[in-house]
Amino acid sequence: MNTFLSRLNTIFAFTLSVMAALTFCCFLTTAFNSHKSKIDIGTSKVTVKNVPDYSADRERSDLGFVVFDMSADLTPLFNWNVKQLFLYLTAEYKTADNVLNQVVLWDKIIVRGENAILNLKNANTKYYFWDYGNGLKGNENVTMSLSWNVVPNAGTLPKVMGDGRHRIQFPTEYSAGRF
Amino acid sequence: MDYIMPLIPESIQSMPLHMDFAGQKKAEKTFQLIILLFGAVGFVWGYVCQQFSQTMYILLAGVLLSCILTLPPWPMYRKNPLPWQKARPETGTGDSVANSASTGQNQQKSKKKK
Repeated sequence: MNTFLSRLNTIFAFTLSVMAALTFCCFLTTAFNSHKSKIDIGTSKVTVKNVPDYSADRERSDLGFVVFDMSADLTPLFNWNVKQLFLYLTAEYKTADNVLNQVVLWDKIIVRGENAILNLKNANTKYYFWDYGNGLKGNENVTMSLSWNVVPNAGTLPKVMGDGRHRIQFPTEYSAGRF
Repeated sequence: MDYIMPLIPESIQSMPLHMDFAGQKKAEKTFQLIILLFGAVGFVWGYVCQQFSQTMYILLAGVLLSCILTLPPWPMYRKNPLPWQKARPETGTGDSVANSASTGQNQQKSKKKK
């Protein structure tokens, strides 16, 4: 503390300690949030085709097509410890081969400050709804739900499933035609 | 440094750069208080406007203020100088012997050069 540089060093070290403490306190203020929100999901058109999956084993597999509606207000999820939300829409179902299948159909990043009100009408899926086999045709219990990661400034990375899911029923016949 | 020092004017060289012990203690307490105060106020303000960046900016403003207040050795940190004993006069016996020995060496060197 007797020279200029030693004082600079002490101030710098003390500042870093205070910053770390403040960041931890910021995490504590949001640590007990539930990060939950209500989601409305609906589907207007559901079809299934049987086409060769060239990205996997070239066998004919079931490929689902889902046109969906979704509305939600995610604005309350944002606070001073949230940088962005990563939303992803998953379909969950059971087949003869596997008890649990999960397919991500759609995703979206909402950065803080952007419009956080979702209002999708007749939206197509972003990713292919492939099944590893023929588990989609006639499957009457496919659950669609929206989940999200809350990306914080500091702290944990919560993974939350939204309140509100939708059950889709695939037709018992393959629809004809190309992609 | 030896090369640069003669180029700096005497008035700047003779400026006191060090704090005394009481001043060091005072400086440390000052900057700790300022940084903690700005950190606490920044935390509350950041929570109110829900912007953690505001907290950091206010904290950094406090750091800047405490740097200005405590980095340079301001006169208020030099009010309690140590009571050093007065310097002894340089005409001691030991010193004169050392002086004569060194001058003798110098004379020898100068002789060699010639």
